[in-house]
Amino acid sequence: MNTVQGYVENVLQPKLQGDGGWIEFVSLDNGILTVIFRGECSKCLILNRCTEWIESEIKKDLGKTVKVNAIRKKPYFQDV
Amino acid sequence: MAHIKVVRRSMRPEEWTDLRFGWLKRYIYSSKWEIENLMIRDARQVSEMEFEYYSEDYRPLKKGDMYFTPDGTAFIKADVDIPKELQGKELWFSLKTAAEICVKVNGKYIGGVDPNRERMLLSPYINDKETLHFDMMGYNRSKPDDERNPESLSVRGCRQIFEGAYICTVNHQVQDLVWDFELLLDIAKSDLFSEDYRAFLNKELSNAMDFIDFEDESGLTGVENAQKYLNEIVFANDNYKGNGDVALIAHSHLDIAYYWRRIHAVQKNLRTVLIQLRLMDRYPDFKYTHTQPYVYETLEKYYPEVFEELKEKVANGQFEPVGAMYVEPDCNIPCAESLIRQCLYGQNTYQRMFGKRVNNAWLPDVFGNSWILPQILKKSGVDYFVSNKMSTWNDTNRFPHNNFIWRGIDGSEVYACVPPTHFITWNMPSQIQENWDAYIDKDSGGQTMNMFGYGDGGSGCTEEMIELMHRFDKLSVMPKCTHTGGAEFLEKNLKYNENLEVWDGELYLEMHRGTFTTKSNLKAANRALEFKLRNAEIISVLKGEDNTERITRLYKKLLINQFHDILPGSHIHPVYEDAMADYAEIDKELDEIIGTGSKYFNTLNFERNALTFVKSENGTSTRHFEKGNWIIPSIPALSCANLRKSAFNAEWIEIGEKIETPFYSVQLNPDGSFASLYDKELSREWVSGDFNKLKIYTDCPGNYDAWDILPNYKDKEIELTVSSELSLLELDGECASFVSTLKTEKSTWTRIIRLFRRSRGIEVENIVDWNEKHRLAKAEFACNVLSRKALCDTSAGFIERDTHKNTSWQQARFEVCHHKWCDMSETDGGVAIINEGKYGVGFDKNVISLSLLRATIRPDVTSDMGNHDFCYMIMPHSKGAVEAYINRLALQYNNELIKADVECPLPDFSPLYLQALKFSENGKMIVVRLSEQNGTRGQIKLDKPVKLLNMLEDEEGEASVIEYKPFEIITIGIDKNGAV
Repeated sequence: MNTVQGYVENVLQPKLQGDGGWIEFVSLDNGILTVIFRGECSKCLILNRCTEWIESEIKKDLGKTVKVNAIRKKPYFQDV
Repeated sequence: MAHIKVVRRSMRPEEWTDLRFGWLKRYIYSSKWEIENLMIRDARQVSEMEFEYYSEDYRPLKKGDMYFTPDGTAFIKADVDIPKELQGKELWFSLKTAAEICVKVNGKYIGGVDPNRERMLLSPYINDKETLHFDMMGYNRSKPDDERNPESLSVRGCRQIFEGAYICTVNHQVQDLVWDFELLLDIAKSDLFSEDYRAFLNKELSNAMDFIDFEDESGLTGVENAQKYLNEIVFANDNYKGNGDVALIAHSHLDIAYYWRRIHAVQKNLRTVLIQLRLMDRYPDFKYTHTQPYVYETLEKYYPEVFEELKEKVANGQFEPVGAMYVEPDCNIPCAESLIRQCLYGQNTYQRMFGKRVNNAWLPDVFGNSWILPQILKKSGVDYFVSNKMSTWNDTNRFPHNNFIWRGIDGSEVYACVPPTHFITWNMPSQIQENWDAYIDKDSGGQTMNMFGYGDGGSGCTEEMIELMHRFDKLSVMPKCTHTGGAEFLEKNLKYNENLEVWDGELYLEMHRGTFTTKSNLKAANRALEFKLRNAEIISVLKGEDNTERITRLYKKLLINQFHDILPGSHIHPVYEDAMADYAEIDKELDEIIGTGSKYFNTLNFERNALTFVKSENGTSTRHFEKGNWIIPSIPALSCANLRKSAFNAEWIEIGEKIETPFYSVQLNPDGSFASLYDKELSREWVSGDFNKLKIYTDCPGNYDAWDILPNYKDKEIELTVSSELSLLELDGECASFVSTLKTEKSTWTRIIRLFRRSRGIEVENIVDWNEKHRLAKAEFACNVLSRKALCDTSAGFIERDTHKNTSWQQARFEVCHHKWCDMSETDGGVAIINEGKYGVGFDKNVISLSLLRATIRPDVTSDMGNHDFCYMIMPHSKGAVEAYINRLALQYNNELIKADVECPLPDFSPLYLQALKFSENGKMIVVRLSEQNGTRGQIKLDKPVKLLNMLEDEEGEASVIEYKPFEIITIGIDKNGAV
């Protein structure tokens, strides 16, 4: 839970799931937090607001400064 | 000569009208005073009324701030002193938001705002000279109430920008004109209305707009003249005649869980009810229909003051409870007793709350309806059935009726209404015209039903919808429209209507065929608990323990999870987790109720004579990773016995190139499929092609991923490799198990094939590590059987289904719902497949294809991923399915043997199936529910007379001879102390 990965998987994930979204930790390199967004997040028009919120939550709860690199994995039927 | 397409670069006159209409809407508010001292506290809802707060205290909320978080609830408050210049005026509260917000002022719930409405009236509910304490609770989610509302869709997203909250006054002259234009522009843009009238409208709407001077710096002028022009030129024109007779019924569809969890439905319902109550205050002629006694219960429990208001509106006839069922359940998968309990507990709840039951089932959104429903409804006080989807969603055939009589499997009839259009509309003339145009029964059905109101996540009707409705009779081009209640519509148009056509069969929805299979764990758990609830009630009665209250609570929990976006699997991941947690809780409590004993008790009302796996630590067989023995219990109906394992040695089977059992000569392929299954007793081969062959297909239905399977799903098959060829796994005196393992790139599928010494059945256990995307797994059985019909269990009798594809009606039914078994037989023999929680199946010529698993990604990215362990039984038999007692075998297969030291003083009621044995709801009787499941007619003579009951346990007579007819469900009441 204290790690960024644990925080993404255990704290953020349930919240995003509650909105039909999905987040997966990929890596954390030099302050760049790469995550995959699926479900409703993958097509969200204002996802940048959410990634900024994620950055602020990690800062608030873990005291770490990260920049989110968001990879969207849209379902095939929305990938047009 | 090359053709050059000319792109119009200047505005058309209609666009000029649209542009000015947009300008006009800016003048709706005559004054707006911003509330600048708002404070907010972010939270997340963790149960129906509990919130996990993200901060200790509130922080200021200013226009332009970000608010709401993923799955977040926000509490917003402010103390407001109304400025002197606004006091005494009609005041509104305005907040444009993507969230769903309930607003309390000075402790009273005043109304709500959400993506479908940005303002609510304050004046009648406040004293504008005292400080107003605003308390707001808002729930924001990425999916708006209704994806069909484009304005709502455009603001979706977890993080929202606060656009300010205001105390406003409304310029009613402008507002009225805006509604007029809203109405007329909709007609002008719709090709459902006459071209000439639309040309007339386009010209005159522009003319009316010309009266308004948008450039006058002193303010808007000419509104009154524009209104006068519309009245005199447009509304007064009756040269263009419309036709039709449409009943407008206000309704809001509320999914208890879907893109939100069940806990959120509590506040969604509050907001919906609250908004409708306020509309009733403002518009005394407004009537609204609301379903699901369960959500009334949550309102009563958590918001009693709003519930009291609701009761007043029920009493004055404006608020109409509709829908006898406790929730709007899926109507394919729940068994007959579950559907009966939906009615029983639903009707009891309405009776307790409002002193009356309802006479309709209101299921607008369910995914098709089982043939067993008419009887259940009729015997639960329900004469009318409403369900929309067959008319609007069928992908192949146009359902031929809208207002009709629906005849059930037993011949019971209810009046039915399948409205021609969607249950979510916003009362636009074009939607009403579309409904009339689509209405098939114009000559026989009376009025057509048109529901209006936003829905899915509740919300309901708006001020605008009612205002438009009040203008319809001023338009000669519109169909005749009458705002009416639900029951009123049904009774007026269907009751005693001798012209209605009859539909005799299931109401199959030609869509959403994947919901029989998606989220297989839910289906299996639901099946197991339906049987366990039955056992718990029987044991409670036989022990003389009145557990009614506890069992009712557990039953209700199961019924809630049968909601049509829970059990079918069409929901986000947290909904699945909630359901599985509920199932675990129900299971645990039922185990406590059932208890244990020194002997095994047969809760079935016929001899338990099928080979059964009985768990035992010292057992020599393994099933579902538990040790046990295969035993023929031979326990008479409703009796106790000790069980003993047979002492037979393992020499009953010969394993060579062929496997020889007492029943079969078997050739198995390395993947666990059968090359041959020769029946020694019947001297016939059962295999004619791929038999017990696991097949995995590409399954890409598109946006409705969890819901649908496309008809061409078989076009692309995924390669399976055999990673471990078939080999002997276990052998004892009753059972020989063979195992083989198959693999795809990502998944492992282990199949254990069990052959038995004393059973014709062949069991297949499937242990699966499933990590696919967009796949449908099926077990296919090409039977050496010539038949144009297959039988499918419905849980209360069987339905015959065609196996050919002669017409589009058979073609559309390429995947259907069945319950415990299906069967394909010739007159002297056939093959049944008995399952323990699978519902989807297809029939094509001689092939049965049982759907096993899907791998969908919307709404739940991880749907069905992970480990699975399930069995099915292949049961070749002589004669037909009925003569071979397939139903009884399936009941034994699904009903786990329990331990209990009880005696049953009741007769076995054979040949009917004892569907339920319970204490009556009033505690005075023992209720026995019997079901005829073989399509036969007869009578049962009893020693003493019994009460004849309906399914709501009302007494309807007395008899000592029970007459039954095919597929009838009979409920009788017995004195608590008296045997029969």
